[in-house]
Amino acid sequence: MYLFMDPQQLTPEQQKEMEEKLKNMSPEELMEFQKQQCIFCQIISGKIPAKKIYEDDKVLAILDINPAAKGHILLLPKEHYAIMPQIPEKEVGEMFIVAKKMSKLLLKAIKVSGTNIFIANGLVAGQKAQHFMIHIIPRKEDDGILEVEEKLTDQEMRTKVKSLIENKFNELMGVKKEVLQVESSDEEVKEVEELEEPEEIKETKKPAKKVEEEKPEKESDDKDDDDDDDGGNASLDDIANLFK
Amino acid sequence: MKCEHCDIVERKSKADILYEDDEVVVAIKDLAMTPGQITVFPKEHFTILEVVPEEILEKCSLIANKIGIAVFESLGSQGTNIIIQNGLGAGQKVPHFAIEVVPRVENDGLGLQWDAKQLAEDEMATVFMTLEQGMKELDSSAEAEKTKGKDETGKDKKNSKEDDKNNYLLKSLKKIP
Repeated sequence: MYLFMDPQQLTPEQQKEMEEKLKNMSPEELMEFQKQQCIFCQIISGKIPAKKIYEDDKVLAILDINPAAKGHILLLPKEHYAIMPQIPEKEVGEMFIVAKKMSKLLLKAIKVSGTNIFIANGLVAGQKAQHFMIHIIPRKEDDGILEVEEKLTDQEMRTKVKSLIENKFNELMGVKKEVLQVESSDEEVKEVEELEEPEEIKETKKPAKKVEEEKPEKESDDKDDDDDDDGGNASLDDIANLFK
Repeated sequence: MKCEHCDIVERKSKADILYEDDEVVVAIKDLAMTPGQITVFPKEHFTILEVVPEEILEKCSLIANKIGIAVFESLGSQGTNIIIQNGLGAGQKVPHFAIEVVPRVENDGLGLQWDAKQLAEDEMATVFMTLEQGMKELDSSAEAEKTKGKDETGKDKKNSKEDDKNNYLLKSLKKIP
């Protein structure tokens, strides 16, 4: 991982000054400022050297200087985006195709028994840089990379997740899937009728998640999102802007 | 061979299907890293990333991105991980390629990290040389493939790739119970 100037290391005065400066910027200026601060943008423009594995007009793949394992590749869009939802669809698809190529390269050139394609969107997901990237990590059994435990979830929980996500997802899939959408929205209506009570959601979510303190805040977010899509969009921007 | 993801397509599984078209399936499986994890996979049985045709991969990635947005906006998560476990050594448990979308909240204790290594400069240089060389070989074999048959259909591509040497991976995947 490349490390960045940590905003918390600034003195309070510097921080205030910075905040003031950021507040007065237009969105374009802010974008430009972020780019100037971004090490990966400087790698892309050639100001900072890096070991380049692959390059085309949209993306750049480099070796991570502090890798999880030897051969850890970072695939970067040349344009500065913070998180995946900001990237135009076409570019997302193109990046995954290049990621496939990089994975194939690792499997062939290095003796590994697999690869992880890994994306972190947001600080809580482990994102460390303000520039979106896809990690392609060579893996061996028991190397301790990306360890995670899987647990059984109950049917009630899965039904709830489904009913919460379905509307937004179908909306995002748009008119193209008209026929399917009609079918699924019929089911949806039935489910939503049964499950719409936020109280009920609260109760079943609690035992399944570990973090009790986070709960009240998070649940109220849920309710906002259900009522008002704009609220949801705002939170997406918040996540993207965490790095400002 | 029994495949958990094919079972989902054939409705032989407990998993809930969130979306389905001719090529891609989106499901909520009972075994998950965290509640709210969504699995996106091609309907056809492809074992690993390397054998998934480009247009299918592209479609899966676009749908995974949309699932990510829907998760952000409707589950109130503060972040997402998008993960492909490609091969046994990478934690792949079902021998059927999938993209996992994992909603994250602060202190969810999920792990999903790694210790960053400090490589010596010569070690970095060696890896870089190996990959540079490997890249050249990949490009030249891709060139050769192109000149061999220009009117390759998706299926031809798949077959030629399955003949490929990296089938050590495919073989090891078949050992998954």
